[in-house]
Amino acid sequence: MSKHHVVVIGGGGTGGAIIHDLRLRGIEATLVERGELTSGTTGRHHGQLHCGARYAVKDRAIARECMEETYILKRIARESLEANYGLFVALNDEDEEHVPIFIQSCVESGIPTKEVPVKHALEMEPNLNPDIRRAIMVPDGTIDAWRLPLQFFASARHNGAGIHTFTPVTGFRSSGKAITGVQVYDLKTRREFTIAADLVINATGAWAGQVTKMADVEIPITPGPGTMVAVRKRLANMVISHLHPAGDGDIIVPQRGLSIIGTTQYRTDDPDDIAVPEEDISEMYRCADMLIPTFSSQKYHAAWIAARPLAGAASTADDARNLSRDFNVVDHGEIDGREGLVSVIGGKATVLRAMAEQTVDAACVKLGITECCTTAETALLPHRAYST
Amino acid sequence: MSNIQLAFTINRSHIDDSGAELSRRQQQYSLGVNDRMTVLDALEVIRRDQDTSLMYRHSCHHGSCGTCGMLINGERKLACLTQATKLETEMIELQPLRNMKVIGDLAVDPSPLFPDFPKGAAYIRRSEVNRDGRKPFELDHWERFEDCIECGLCVSSCPVTESFMGPAALAAHNREIINRRERRGELLGEVNVPRGAWPCTRALNCSRACPTGVYPAKHIAELRKKIEQDGLTPAAEPGEKRAQ
Repeated sequence: MSKHHVVVIGGGGTGGAIIHDLRLRGIEATLVERGELTSGTTGRHHGQLHCGARYAVKDRAIARECMEETYILKRIARESLEANYGLFVALNDEDEEHVPIFIQSCVESGIPTKEVPVKHALEMEPNLNPDIRRAIMVPDGTIDAWRLPLQFFASARHNGAGIHTFTPVTGFRSSGKAITGVQVYDLKTRREFTIAADLVINATGAWAGQVTKMADVEIPITPGPGTMVAVRKRLANMVISHLHPAGDGDIIVPQRGLSIIGTTQYRTDDPDDIAVPEEDISEMYRCADMLIPTFSSQKYHAAWIAARPLAGAASTADDARNLSRDFNVVDHGEIDGREGLVSVIGGKATVLRAMAEQTVDAACVKLGITECCTTAETALLPHRAYST
Repeated sequence: MSNIQLAFTINRSHIDDSGAELSRRQQQYSLGVNDRMTVLDALEVIRRDQDTSLMYRHSCHHGSCGTCGMLINGERKLACLTQATKLETEMIELQPLRNMKVIGDLAVDPSPLFPDFPKGAAYIRRSEVNRDGRKPFELDHWERFEDCIECGLCVSSCPVTESFMGPAALAAHNREIINRRERRGELLGEVNVPRGAWPCTRALNCSRACPTGVYPAKHIAELRKKIEQDGLTPAAEPGEKRAQ
């Protein structure tokens, strides 16, 4: 058992996977979150379990990682997944031209694909646009965006992790330039206190820049909000994607009795200052109807917006769209001379476990710990175990 | 889209180290809202611009996680699915769910919901969409998460005051019996106890409060019927008979 204590800031999916990983390696760990768990970006995820096909043409490495993590999540967190596959559909000449490179890129990324005849696709998904030209199945699925992270938190908590919700960080404690702890304010008891740390991991996603600012260092992070609209009917079993170079409103994710169309992309400086632009809703309906023509005639359920944590600096929405969905672990000791602080930036829900593995690997190097990661082989507790 | 000014009267309270609730009071906030905004959207803006100490639970913002249940003008609802202007009141009163322990302001501790859920219950069921249609050869059936999102609105709405497993756990028992027939005997044994399927008075508040159409009262009635069908001796008289 290591004598080190690590504080994780941020109770999203990444923070949950990190604190679980830390505890499996025998490292004392405490997590602080300013509100409820997954109340930032993670919970608002439309719920697509990405096998990577969407990213394959642009980035084989990210696609391969998504596929590998999909296999792992099916082993360790089966109850939080609807593993119904995904269907990419080509709608026009331009899409059809894109099919060979799409399939080739999936193959090169280790993603199994299966083209099915259009007739067969329509038998599987009768609500699909009958005019689709091609249909390719991939191993996508749906995540319960609340339960999957909660399984990590439940496992971490049962392994002895301290988890403090409604406890925002108000500042850092330092000795010289080295960070030695965090100052927090517990909203529940209205008391401020300090938590000493040998290392602080900033896993606050789109809020990472706000947190590092309290430590007087900067980090290249661009919050990239996107709108999602849900209607009150399940219109497909599979995730339905528009087979084209990625754009707005090209994925319908079915989830319980809902169908969700997403998404758009903007950039913002403040991830708390996000609101659904009214014009997004009609645009999302228009896009959804191209895939499933009855989408917009269903009963409206909800529209919401979530800030992606894009790694890198972008000054316009177009720049933000070109930022990679990859993630980086930043050692502020090495880069800013601010020892004791590591940030993880970027990434996506599907690869939360891999993000944690790399972050905790970096933490272990800094702390001189040689324990290896075992999260890929360790089944998670049920989400209800978090509360029992 | 029009913007109208609404008053939000919100319960404020906090807890001591033992978890006991202290100093409950009401605080009023004023906010301009448009027709699209939900009560949760409004809370997010109030917290950001007016009071960063405001506590409420939220995660998915589309009625899927079950965290944002609260009393909105006295009715149990998910804040994320309640459009503020549709309430048609100039003042919106927000209170934490009843029958649950408050951890601060509008946030409650959901843990009392879970101890009576059946152990090892399935979380995924067969999808009813295109059930008999064509499916991929690798799949036995299309999958779908169970409808219950464990929001606690049913438990919070239940008028039964005696010791009771409650509508969420009982509905989960019947769902598990439907999913896995082999557990029928074991699970009927768990609910055929005085605090199991019997205290229900069929007020049906739970079925009305449920935001995902689980209809817990229907499941409780089915459990009682199954107990009878299997020739078990009821562990207590039904609550509605005692209430007469």
